[in-house]
Amino acid sequence: MKGMLQYVHGNTILHKVPPLLKLLIAIAICAACFSTRSLLVLLALIVLDVILGFIGNIGRQTLRTLCSLCKFSSIIFVLQIFFVTQGNALVTLPLGVRITDEGLRFSAMICMRLIGATLPLTVMLTLTRLPDLTRQLVKVLHVPYKYAFAFTTAIRFIPILARDMAAVIEAQTARGVELDGNFIKKLRLLLPLCVPLLVSSIRKIEAGAISAELRGFHLRGKKAA
Amino acid sequence: MIDMQQLSFRYESAQGNALTDITLHIPRGEFLGIIGPSGAGKSTLLSVISGVIPHHYTGDFYGACVVNGMDTVEVTPTDLSRVVGSVFQDIDAQMVSSMVEDEVLFALENFGVPAKDLDSRVEEALATVGIANLRHRSLDTLSGGQKQKVAIAAVLAMRPQVLVLDEPTGELDPASSQAIFRVLRTLNEQGTTVVVVEQKIMLLSAFCKSLCVMDRGSVRLHGTMREVLAHPELLREIGVNCPRVATLHEQLLAAGLSAGPVPICVEEAKAMVEGVLA
Ligand SMILES: Nc1ncnc2c1ncn2[C@@H]1O[C@H](COP(=O)(O)OP(=O)(O)O)[C@@H](O)[C@H]1O
Ligand SMILES: [Mg+2]
Repeated sequence: MKGMLQYVHGNTILHKVPPLLKLLIAIAICAACFSTRSLLVLLALIVLDVILGFIGNIGRQTLRTLCSLCKFSSIIFVLQIFFVTQGNALVTLPLGVRITDEGLRFSAMICMRLIGATLPLTVMLTLTRLPDLTRQLVKVLHVPYKYAFAFTTAIRFIPILARDMAAVIEAQTARGVELDGNFIKKLRLLLPLCVPLLVSSIRKIEAGAISAELRGFHLRGKKAA
Repeated sequence: MIDMQQLSFRYESAQGNALTDITLHIPRGEFLGIIGPSGAGKSTLLSVISGVIPHHYTGDFYGACVVNGMDTVEVTPTDLSRVVGSVFQDIDAQMVSSMVEDEVLFALENFGVPAKDLDSRVEEALATVGIANLRHRSLDTLSGGQKQKVAIAAVLAMRPQVLVLDEPTGELDPASSQAIFRVLRTLNEQGTTVVVVEQKIMLLSAFCKSLCVMDRGSVRLHGTMREVLAHPELLREIGVNCPRVATLHEQLLAAGLSAGPVPICVEEAKAMVEGVLA
């Protein structure tokens, strides 16, 4: 299975757009999501993201990402809805907890912003070869090579870490740990596993850094400076 | 080529020594396998050779390690890397890019190889490990064995005289593991000194010229494959599996049959058994 954020090869227009322009479009969509307060505009932006996904021939994958983002944001939605008490009560629960129209609107906005801002970045990064992006960052934006390298390495590590996480979950499930339960229970079971995961991530990053150093990474840094 | 004199090392954060009083000479052209239980100090020893210790991991360093006339404490790991190429166990973590070609180009560009030579150098490195056809592939479309070959090609591009590998087959299936060792043998035949840490004794006995057995920070045995495998009881005590051909030899001796020298491959074992039966 293709991991998230991994480059998907293709020949669409979006593949041919220069990487920096793609990044710019993605950032523009993000910015639009955070500056608008209209749910309709947010919805339109999300639809735009999905359309971009289909143009880039990764429509299905985009929908899948959308789906998991929806799941994740539904948790935030539920949490948010109880914290906003302004506006007219739609439902009043015991203990003075109210669900208001304003709360509903606000939660929906937060969630749609989250989705609308994450989606364009994942779509564009999936359609961009990282080395091309690094090269453009250095050549066009004159970002020092070291920083461009760190940036693209960070992005490259996301799927690797996601895979480690999936492996841990799989191993725990195989040992009979029930991870299908509710969110809190899941969190309680997974949290202790995060420490070894973090340690192994740091090991990996260290190994990567050493491997780069042993192949002359610092020499390039020096010449550029 | 590599000369360690009474070398001891303790990681700053650790209580005891990771390496204790190691004296080891690895001649040019050697194909040395290193084996030993987990925590024996194998990776630490390789880090010393590549200069990562004491430059990256600090601690108490005693004694000396000289590689090709350079004292590893005095020169930087980057300078050492012109002579010593290092391949690590974690296949994905050691990659710096997402395309095969870029991975190999990384070192070449860093070391300032002239642009006109880049193409042929990449071609040469990939061809040496037999994956010239993968040049334009994306790394995440490759199998583990192919990726490890890319990692080897990426350091070979610098044309190192020494290649050190830390459990390069740790994440691989038996067939890919064999393939990696065949690549190492070819390199060794072309003159590269190869030092490889490996858990699978069968691979080592089939491919390496000599073997070093480590345990708790010390070198317990070091010699030609045959010399080391002649000590099955010591190997067992350390916790290293003995190849079955060596165990068979031991059992024949125990049964009072004169079996001759230890066999190190199936053909020799066959000859030994035929000799005993005759
Ligand atoms: N970065 C480190 N910091 C502190 N101690 C370490 C570090 N790396 C390894 N060690 C310790 O050094 C000893 C030797 O480890 P290592 O060389 O990795 O063994 P091996 O590769 O043979 O399994 C072990 O006891 C290990 O816990
Ligand atoms: Mg090790």
